[in-house]
Amino acid sequence: MSFNNVSKRIEKIKFALLSPEEIRKMSQVRVITPDTYDDDGYPIEKGLMDLHMGVIEPGLKCATCGGRVDECPGHFGHIELAMPVVHIGFVKEIKNMLDSACKSCGRIKLTDEEIETYKKQLSAINYETEDPEIIDLTLKKILDVAAQRVKCPHCGADSPKVILDKPTTFREGGIKITPKEIRERLEKIPDDDLIFYGLNKDAARPEWMVLTVLPVPPIDVRPSITLETGERSEDDLTHKLVDIIRISQRLRESRDNGSPQLIIEDLWDLLQYHITTYFDNQTAGIPPARHRSGRALKTLVQRLKGKEGRFRANLSGKRVNFSSRTVISPEPFLSINEVGIPEIAARELTVPVIINSFNIDKMKEWIKRGTSPRTPDGKYIAGVNYLIRPDGRRIKITDQNAEINSERADIGWTVERQMTEGDIVLFNRQPSLHRMSMMAHTVRVLPGMTFRFNLAVCTPYNADFDGDEMNLHVIQSEEARAEARIIMKVQEQILSPRFGGPIIGAIHDHITALFLLTHNNPLFSEEEFIHITSYLNIDKMPDPVIKDGKKYYHGRDIFSLILPEGINMKFKSHLCAGSKDKCEYENDPEDTYVVITNGKLIHGTIDDEAVGPFSGVIVDRIFRKFGPDAAAKFVDNVTRLAVGFLSFNGFSTGIKDYDIPADAIARIEEISNETIEKIDKLVEAFRAGQLQPMPGRSIEDTLEVEILGETGSVRDESGKIASSYLGLNDPSVIMARSGARAKMLNIAEVAGMVGQQSVRGGRLNRGYANRTLPHFKENDLGAYARGFIKSSYRAGLSPTEYFFHSIGGREGLVDIAVRTSRSGYMQRRLINAFEDLKVDPERRVEDTVGSIVQFKYGEDGIDPTRSDEGKTIDIDYIAYDELGDEQ
Amino acid sequence: MNVILWKDTKKNISDIEKKAPCYYAIDFDIPADITKGYITTDKKNFEYETSISEIKKYDENTDKDLLFKKKPASVTVIKIDSIKKIDKKPISDFKLNDNKSEIDSFAVGEEFTVEYKEKSEYKIPEKDEDVIADLKARGYNFPLSVVDKLAKYKKELPPDKYEKLLKRVNLEIEKREVDPYEAVGIIAAQSIGEPGTQMTMRTFHFAGVVEMNVTLGLPRLIEIVDARRIPSTPSMTIYLTKEYKNDGEKVKQLIKNLENTAIIDVADIITDVGDMSLTIKLDAYKSKDRLVNISDVINALDKIKGIIYNQVDNERILIKLQQESFKRLYQLQEQLKVTPIKGVPKIKRAIARYDNSSNEWILYTQGSNLKDVLNIEGVDPTRTYTNDIIEIENVLGIEAARNAIYREAENTLSEQGLDVDKRHLMLVSDMMTFSGAVRAVGRQGISGRKSSVLARAAFEITSKHLLKAGLLGEIDPLSGVAENIIVGQPITLGTGAIDLVYKGQKK
Repeated sequence: MSFNNVSKRIEKIKFALLSPEEIRKMSQVRVITPDTYDDDGYPIEKGLMDLHMGVIEPGLKCATCGGRVDECPGHFGHIELAMPVVHIGFVKEIKNMLDSACKSCGRIKLTDEEIETYKKQLSAINYETEDPEIIDLTLKKILDVAAQRVKCPHCGADSPKVILDKPTTFREGGIKITPKEIRERLEKIPDDDLIFYGLNKDAARPEWMVLTVLPVPPIDVRPSITLETGERSEDDLTHKLVDIIRISQRLRESRDNGSPQLIIEDLWDLLQYHITTYFDNQTAGIPPARHRSGRALKTLVQRLKGKEGRFRANLSGKRVNFSSRTVISPEPFLSINEVGIPEIAARELTVPVIINSFNIDKMKEWIKRGTSPRTPDGKYIAGVNYLIRPDGRRIKITDQNAEINSERADIGWTVERQMTEGDIVLFNRQPSLHRMSMMAHTVRVLPGMTFRFNLAVCTPYNADFDGDEMNLHVIQSEEARAEARIIMKVQEQILSPRFGGPIIGAIHDHITALFLLTHNNPLFSEEEFIHITSYLNIDKMPDPVIKDGKKYYHGRDIFSLILPEGINMKFKSHLCAGSKDKCEYENDPEDTYVVITNGKLIHGTIDDEAVGPFSGVIVDRIFRKFGPDAAAKFVDNVTRLAVGFLSFNGFSTGIKDYDIPADAIARIEEISNETIEKIDKLVEAFRAGQLQPMPGRSIEDTLEVEILGETGSVRDESGKIASSYLGLNDPSVIMARSGARAKMLNIAEVAGMVGQQSVRGGRLNRGYANRTLPHFKENDLGAYARGFIKSSYRAGLSPTEYFFHSIGGREGLVDIAVRTSRSGYMQRRLINAFEDLKVDPERRVEDTVGSIVQFKYGEDGIDPTRSDEGKTIDIDYIAYDELGDEQ
Repeated sequence: MNVILWKDTKKNISDIEKKAPCYYAIDFDIPADITKGYITTDKKNFEYETSISEIKKYDENTDKDLLFKKKPASVTVIKIDSIKKIDKKPISDFKLNDNKSEIDSFAVGEEFTVEYKEKSEYKIPEKDEDVIADLKARGYNFPLSVVDKLAKYKKELPPDKYEKLLKRVNLEIEKREVDPYEAVGIIAAQSIGEPGTQMTMRTFHFAGVVEMNVTLGLPRLIEIVDARRIPSTPSMTIYLTKEYKNDGEKVKQLIKNLENTAIIDVADIITDVGDMSLTIKLDAYKSKDRLVNISDVINALDKIKGIIYNQVDNERILIKLQQESFKRLYQLQEQLKVTPIKGVPKIKRAIARYDNSSNEWILYTQGSNLKDVLNIEGVDPTRTYTNDIIEIENVLGIEAARNAIYREAENTLSEQGLDVDKRHLMLVSDMMTFSGAVRAVGRQGISGRKSSVLARAAFEITSKHLLKAGLLGEIDPLSGVAENIIVGQPITLGTGAIDLVYKGQKK
C-alpha cells in the first residue's frame, strides 16, 4: 500500500490507432492454434490460452512476467490474418477516403488552390473547443467537393463512384473492391491530406483501418470458468477468436494451394463476418453471432456499451468492500447524528488502524481480545479481525492465535479492528437523488438486526419503515473520515442547498405531540411534567403555577426548556396560516403569531411550521444563529420531548374521529341529491339542445364543464358540513391542522363525500360502448354513470363507486410509474451536463476547459444554503441584530 | 415597402452582374412601385440585392435584346440598375403576400425592417451611487440589491452606526459566500432533478378553453431542459399598448386579426367530380365566431392562380378550374383547406382576459409567432412574451433566451409549489446559453461537447466516441469528474481541488 505516501496523478490519456507493427510489438505470442486447453487441462502453447498472455489458474506462473494469479496483469498476443479485413468501426471513414481520394495517386481530389483555402479554414478551427458537429459539417462539405469530382486534378486519372454495400462491402462500378485493394489505396494517401478526412496524422494512418494483424486480449480479460461439473466454459471473446483463427487458417491454406477464387472469396467474407462480430455483434445488416445455446454473443462493443457495460457499471460506479445493508427501523432516542447498527454488522465491518508508537500498547491489547470480545456484563466491545503486515500479508485473527499475534504486532503493522461507538460511517438510501441521500453518522452498536436512526432524518433520505433497506459504508482513510466529520455529518446537512431551508425536522406524531403540548398552553401537574421531560437532559425547572397548593407547569414553558437562550422570533403557525388578525383556532387572539422572546415561548402553537422539515423556522433560526451543534441538539430534544409527551398522554385515531351527527349526514345526503338532480337537468337541457355553449367550446364540453363545476362544489360543501362538526378535539383534525399528516380534504372525503372521480382531468367516459359499465343505460351522462361518488369512505362505497374509485386510483399509480423513469433520466442528463462546474476563488463559475459560465455565481456569489430565503442578505434583520431597537 | 423576390440560376445572375444596368424580362406581374429586388439560388436564402428603376409591360415587338428569364410567357420587363452580393438573408426576413415558405419563381413581399434603438445605459440611482462610493472607499463589493437597501439606512442612521452596519454587512456577506471549488453544477442539477419525482405529469387547461392548454409539470421541465425546437404547447402572452389595453372593442378587433383563419375553419368545401367544381359553403356559426364574411374568403381566393370563382349566394362560392384536370382539382381542394383568410401564421387561437390587478386586457394565444406579433399595431413589444425559447433566441437574441429559460423553469417549478433557489436555475440557463447558442442538456448538447473522451463515452454512445478519439488522436486531459472517477483518482472539485500539506512542528 505504498500509494499512501506518494501522490501520483495521471495527467492525461492519449487516444490513437494501433499500427500493425505496434500490435506485433506489444504482443507476447503469435497465436496460431484455434484451441485452448489440451486433454490434461493444460494451456496449449501458441493457443488462445497460452501462458504468455497471463494466468487465471492458481499455481501456474505467467510465461512472460513470471507473476502468479493477481500479480500478472495479463499480456497481449496477436493473430496474423491470412488476408486483410475491414475494421467495422471505421467503415464510414474508409468510404470517405475511397470517395474523395484519387484511385491512382492517392491525393485528395481537390485543386491546389482549394487545398490551400480549405487548409486555412481548417487550421483556424480549435479542435478542443469547437463544437464537434460544426467540425464534422465543415469536413463533410470539403469531402463532398472532392467526392463529386471524377477526374483527379493532380494526376488526371478517373475515379469511378464507390458504393458502400452495408455493412462492409465496397463496390466500384458493380465490382467488389477487396479489402486488400482498399488497403493499397489507403496506403497511397499522403499524410498531408489526412486533415481533410478528420484524421490526425500523429495518431492514425488510413491503412491501419484495414486489419492485417489482430491483437488478442490478455486472458484476464476473457477468463474461462469451470462449472460445477468440472466442465470448462470459455468466454464469448475466446469463442469468437477461435472462429477467427480457424477461418484465417483455412483461408491461408486455400490461398496457398490455389483453391478456386470463389472458395477463397467465401472464406474471406466469412473471416470478415467473424471479425466484424468480434468487434460489434449488433452491427446492422448482419445476423449476430450466436452461442450454441442460441444466445447472442457479448463481444467487444457490447462489453463497453450501455447501463450494464464496462463504463457505466464498472468504471463510473464500483462495488465496494466494508459496506453492509439491512432493513431500517426507527429509534427516537438516538441523536440525528447517530446510527444504530446491529452487532453482527459491527463485528464484520472493520476500520484499519496503523500501529505507531502512541497506540501500540492499546492495539496489542485490542488484538489480544480476539474476534468477539465482551465486557464482563455482556456488552459489545470491538475486537480485531485481521492484522496486515508491512509486506501486505494478511493474518486472520482467531480466538486461538490472538495472544501470539498480539505479541508479534509491531509499529507499521495495520490492525483491522471492528466498529466501535463513535466511529464515523456513511449511510445511504437509494435512489440517491441529492447529496442528503448520503450522510455521515456516528456509530452506536445496538442489539437487534436492523439499522436504526432518528425519525427526523427520514425526510432527507425519503425513508419510511415499511421494509426499506439502507446501505452503510465504513470509511477506510483518515482524510475521508475528516471530510465526513466536517462536511457530511447529518447536522451539517440540516439546511438543504435546494431552497436554503431545513430539510430535517420533526415529523408526524412528533409534530402532533408538540402541538398538543403548546396549543392553548395547557397545564400539567408536576407528575405529568416529570414524565414528559424524563427523556430530556435539563438542568433547571420552569417556574411552576401553584394551584390548590399543587405545582402545575405550562406546556409552553416545557417546550421552552429545549429552546436555546437568546432566540427571538415571531411567525405564524401552520394552524393559523390562513388567518389575518385573529386565528379562529386559537382561544387567545395573541396566539395568532408564535412569539419567542429570549428562548421562551410566549404565544402561539408549535406545529409543522415551527419544527417540521421544509418549513421549520425555529430549526432554521437556531442553525443560523447558534450553528449545527445547537440545531442538532434542538432536533434531538424535540424528538425526546415529543416521545416523552406521547408516552404519557397518548394519542390515537380511529374511525370514530369521523362520526358526525345523523342530521349532518342527512344534510350531505340532501345536497348530493340536489346536485344529482341539477346534473340531470343539465343533461336534459343538453339533450333538448337548450344548453347555451360557452364561448369557444362545443356544447358537449360545456356540459362537462358545468357538471364538473357542480360536483366540485358539492364536495366542498359536504366537506364544510362535515368539518363543522369536527373540531380541534378530534385527533384526525389535530393531525391535519397541525400539519402532522393528511389534509382537511382527506378528512372531508372520509366523513363527508368522496366526490367526482376523474381520468385525465375529465369525468370517466370509457369502458363499454357508450357507457362506462353495463349497469348503466347507453349514453347515460348522469352523475352516477360517470364516476360520481356520493358515499363517504366511512359509509362505504357502492360496487360501481368502488370500481370508479379504482380507475381514478390506477391513473395515479401509472402516473407515478411513468414519472419516476422520466425524471430519473432527466436528472442523469442534468448531472452529466453540470458535474464539472466549479466555483473559483473569485466566485466565478467555470467548466473544465476554463470557459466562464457565470462571472459571479448566482449573480451575488452567495451560497444558496446560507442565503436568507434566497435573498443575498436580510439587511433589516442584520440592522436589527447589530444596532438593536436603537435605530 | 414592397420588394420583389425571385429564384434564379447562377448563370443568369452572373449575366446580370456583367451587364447591369440592363433590362430583364420576367413572367410575373408586379406592382409598379417596386424599387428593390432580392434573388435567391436555393429557394430560401437571398444572396443578391438589386435595385430596380423601371417596370413596364412586356412588348414582344419592341423589347428584343433583353435578358430573359422565360421567353414565351414574359409579361413584365424590369430595369435592373445594380446588383450586389449580400450576406444571406433568410426568407423569414420577409413578409410574403402569399405566405410561402420557399420561393420557386417569383413573389412579392414586404421586407421586415428593424429599427435599432441604442439601449439607454443603465443608470444607477443617485442615492445608490453615494453608497457605492462609500463601499469603494472601504474596499467592499456588495451586490446592487444590497446597495439599494443600504441607501435607506444611510439616510436614517447617524454616521457611526452606518459605519458599524457596513462592517457587519460585509462580514455577513463574506460568511455567506460560496466556498471556492464548490461543485455548484452538481448541486444545481440535484436541486432541479430531485423535486422532479414530486411533480405531476398533467397538462393544464387554462381560461376554460379546451383547445388552449399549456404543458406543465415534469413534461414541461424536460422540454425546457431539452431546448426543443418547438414546445408541445407554444403559447404567447400579449400585452397591449396604452391605446388598446382598456378598449374592449379594439381588443376584439385585434383578436380577429391575430387568429389565423383558414377556409376550412369557417367553411365546408364540397367537391363535385362530375361537374369538375368545388363549392365553398360558409358555416354561419363558425364564420360568425371568427368574424369572417364571404368577401374575406373571396379576397383570399384572389391570390390563387388558375381558378375561376363565382359567388352563388350569401354563403356559397362556386370554383372552377381554368384547365380541367382531376389531379389539379384534388390539389386545389387540399390547397383551399389551408388557404389563410387572415390572421398571423401559427397563431391558432387567441383569447382576451381582463387582468384586474393591472387593469388591462391581456391576450393569450395558442401557437406562437413572436416576430409577426411584435409588428402588429397595438401590441406592446416590451412586455409581450412567448413560451417558445428557441423563438425568443431567434428574434430577441441569446440574452433574452437565457432569461426565458430561467423564467420558464422558475414558473414551472413554482406552479407545482416546489421551492428551488433561483441560483440553481440561473446556473442551468447560463450553462445552456453561455456558448452563444441555446444548447440542450443531453447528448446532442452540453454532454456531447465535453472535452473528455472518457466522460462522453461513459454517458451515451460509447463506441462511437472511443473510435473517433482514436482517429483524431484526442488527448483526455482528465480535468472533469467522470473521467477521473473512471481512472480511479480524486476528482478536481471541492476538497479534491486543493492540497493540504502538514509541515510538522518545529522543534
